[in-house]
Amino acid sequence: MATDLTKTPNLEPHIEIPHEETEFGISYGKIMMWYFLISDTFTFAAFLVAYAMQRFRQADSWPSSNEVFQSVPGITDSGAPLIFVSIMTFILILSSVTMVRAVQEGFMKNRKGVIMWLIPTILGGMAFLYCQYLEWTHLMHQGMSMSFNPFSGMEGVEGPVNFGQFFFTITGFHGMHVFAGVCINIWLLIGVINGTYDRRGSYEMVEKVGLFWHFVDLVWVYVFLAYYLL
Amino acid sequence: MAHMTQEEYKKNVREVYRTTAILSIVTIVEVVGALMYEKYALPAGYPRIVLSIFVSVASLIKAYWIMAVFMHVNHEKKGFTFTILFPFSFLILAIIAFSMDGSNFGELLRNINSLH
Repeated sequence: MATDLTKTPNLEPHIEIPHEETEFGISYGKIMMWYFLISDTFTFAAFLVAYAMQRFRQADSWPSSNEVFQSVPGITDSGAPLIFVSIMTFILILSSVTMVRAVQEGFMKNRKGVIMWLIPTILGGMAFLYCQYLEWTHLMHQGMSMSFNPFSGMEGVEGPVNFGQFFFTITGFHGMHVFAGVCINIWLLIGVINGTYDRRGSYEMVEKVGLFWHFVDLVWVYVFLAYYLL
Repeated sequence: MAHMTQEEYKKNVREVYRTTAILSIVTIVEVVGALMYEKYALPAGYPRIVLSIFVSVASLIKAYWIMAVFMHVNHEKKGFTFTILFPFSFLILAIIAFSMDGSNFGELLRNINSLH
């Protein structure tokens, strides 16, 4: 059934959702989202710890990140270390900011405000995924894959093959989370447009999705740190 | 969350933009500092560990601001904040420990002929 956006939806709260106060003063839904995020943190931490162990064990032959990641797609092919990935970091941080604004508009029950701030969040997430796709294809064109590493370590020592394996696995998992976040945000936006949360009386779902989105941003901060800076 | 007044809302919005500025500045300082250190200090013989500590501290600062303001941890009850931060502190210990273990293992492998 298509939503006729010219008609104002029925926004009167008329659905009773039991909202128990927990010991912590916040709803069960929010607590569960937090504990899910902590469990997901363990997953990423396991990956990053495995990466750290292998990387420092093979410190001599590990390629220098400044040499591997020095392109900006569309502008230059080399000589710009860390620039493109910093742009990606900014895109994700800014999309987190627009998400926070959407949550704040939700607290004020401002339906149009939430819509206005959710859209740049979704666009930011899609832009990040596109940038990650550009980075991946550029590296794959240079020969990097799950079974071959064309980059050499210090003094020309042949680079270990698990460089590519770790990179594509970790950034792939993170990209999967960003993609899931974009999909959930689109679902949320449709719900807000339809007036679901006004009928429910609370925009807490925006806050819960916001928590997930910030988690994705935080993980990127640490992947960025581990892979590009350390 | 209970209904906010207009002033509270404006204050919260300002806080978000202030935090955005802080995060942007920290990111820029982190990236520029890392690039400068790589280009000038490392070839001159300064230790790599200083760079590692610098970027790790910068990332911790960013994580603090994102969690405290964007994810609202600052406004939660103390008990709940503790249940979140307690596992994280173990994680940080684990990362440091495993990185040191990895580099130590690398050292052992490199000197395997001179071990006995």
